[in-house]
Amino acid sequence: MRSRRFSPRQSALLLFALGIALLAASRVVDELRTYQGAQVAVYVIAIASIVLLTGYSGQISLGHGAIMALGGYGAALSFTLWNFPFALAILFGTLVGSVGGFILGVAAARLSGPYLAGSTLALAVGLPTLADQFHILGGEQGLNFDIGDPPHWMQKLGGDNFTQYKWFFWITTSFALVVIWAITNLLHSSYGRNWKAGRNNAVAAGLAGINISQGKILAFTVSSGLASLSGALFGLLLGLVTPTAFPLSLSFAIVTGAVLAGVGSLTGSILGGVVLVAIPELSGALATHLGGSQKMTANLPGLLMSSLLIVVVLFMPHGVRIGKFGRQQQANK
Amino acid sequence: MFIDTLLIGISSGAIYSLMALSLVLVWRSTRIVNFAQSGQAVFSTYIGYEIAVRAHDYWISLPLAIIFGALLGSLVDLLFMRPLLRRVKDGPIAEIAPVIATLGLLGLLQSLLGLIWGNAFLQYASPLSAKGFTFGSHTVPFSPQNLFIVLASCAVLVIFGFIFKYTNLGLALRAASFQPEIAQLAGVRVSRVRNIGWAFAGATGALAGAVITPTATLSPNSLDLLFVSGFIAAVIGGLDSLVGAVVGGLVLGIGFSFILQYIAGSVTFLVGFIILMVVLLIRPRGIFGRDAGRHA
Repeated sequence: MRSRRFSPRQSALLLFALGIALLAASRVVDELRTYQGAQVAVYVIAIASIVLLTGYSGQISLGHGAIMALGGYGAALSFTLWNFPFALAILFGTLVGSVGGFILGVAAARLSGPYLAGSTLALAVGLPTLADQFHILGGEQGLNFDIGDPPHWMQKLGGDNFTQYKWFFWITTSFALVVIWAITNLLHSSYGRNWKAGRNNAVAAGLAGINISQGKILAFTVSSGLASLSGALFGLLLGLVTPTAFPLSLSFAIVTGAVLAGVGSLTGSILGGVVLVAIPELSGALATHLGGSQKMTANLPGLLMSSLLIVVVLFMPHGVRIGKFGRQQQANK
Repeated sequence: MFIDTLLIGISSGAIYSLMALSLVLVWRSTRIVNFAQSGQAVFSTYIGYEIAVRAHDYWISLPLAIIFGALLGSLVDLLFMRPLLRRVKDGPIAEIAPVIATLGLLGLLQSLLGLIWGNAFLQYASPLSAKGFTFGSHTVPFSPQNLFIVLASCAVLVIFGFIFKYTNLGLALRAASFQPEIAQLAGVRVSRVRNIGWAFAGATGALAGAVITPTATLSPNSLDLLFVSGFIAAVIGGLDSLVGAVVGGLVLGIGFSFILQYIAGSVTFLVGFIILMVVLLIRPRGIFGRDAGRHA
């Protein structure tokens, strides 16, 4: 998105500066906000995976919650069973999800529109139940993924009050920034252009020598890798992975976030992530304000989220854009 | 044991068929998979529940719930899908906009239901016994309610089969889905005909909700899994074919029932996913699907 103006190195520096600023900010804000910041970072990665898949490659997935579960379980399994260090465990989870995504992508490349949506929907419902079947996956209780307190060198670097949440924020934000940088470059490479070409006009792209189905499989694999990375980080934030941590609503939530982001915009995914975290918070406050009955607190988040989704699809099908920057992005498509 | 499992399968398959039929009806009329279908169906079921509680009569509530379902389906098309399809014609989400929009509608309906009736599980009793028929000393797991479910699904299939094959309305419905422009030129009011397709679908979904809920409980999300099964069934059948939807539903119902009996209950949806994948990879348009959906 920014490469029209920034080279990869410049954008890397920019994101690095942003990262430093965010990490510095985490020293002043309170614990809850720090944790929510970490959640935003996790959602940003998940939404970026949908942006890549839907906005660029033109495929849809309602099953990315299940792919996140693959990543979460891969990470937690390698962490508890083989005592991988947590960073390696997260990468292992990403690998597991990418392999799963590759297998799924081979099938997905042959399916279109509603068929793909429905198959991935069935996957989202079916896959988490697998955890009950194998003793090694811990059943309903799930698997422990508690990485404990930040290491000593980190506490030295971060000061005395460097809490676990700040450590989480540090990890997730670093991953998110690296992901945004890498994916931005990927989408502006020949891969990204080929994906877009295949999405816009498959016949013309095929005639121009682009292997459409190979591109689709690759997009699904990369997207699944991102989703499973966010799933592994999601497990890290929770301290454990359970089948119920990756419900159908999670798959829907990240698609919602991607739509709010305008599906085609990677920078928009940050906005999407903020909205996904902010809505439960806002609606909680609103429900308390309106009397705070149990019905209200349980259903207001869903109501707000779905209304927002409908409004965006109906009135802002290109996503929520802010000012001139947004229009320019749109013109580039 | 085998017969018992088969009977359970047929009964749940009949319900899947109803849900699959309602999806196929919308697909045939508008080329949209209506992910809000479970929300519409559960809304109608809540209306039926409310009437049944007030009037103390299931048999009054059933037709009213179906009528409400038809109205709701028609309203969703009029107030929601048409503006959407008019507005979102291009851009990055044009292809997935209907999926997203119906998902949004699903969330909206379910949270509204939660606000009105709460999220607690409600009981919606039917006068029919849920106890299985007894033959000699053996009680089969097939109750009068199950029989009613199967009969209702058969009736729906017969009615729709008749409408699609032998009436002008059916011809118009088929024409509107096969070649909308030419149908319009031939004097078919395509958008009105499509609206009728949505109403039929809403009514079928409402029937599914109203007959299955007495055997389970009612909550805003209680039909979600039924929707997923119905969707798998519809896709197995080809999304375009009414007969395919029913066959798909029965195959899936019986398959699930045998998995539940002989393997494990919790993997059913995973197996459903695998069945779906195998069918789609062998026949990307489903078993009964044709490239041009012309037949009833």
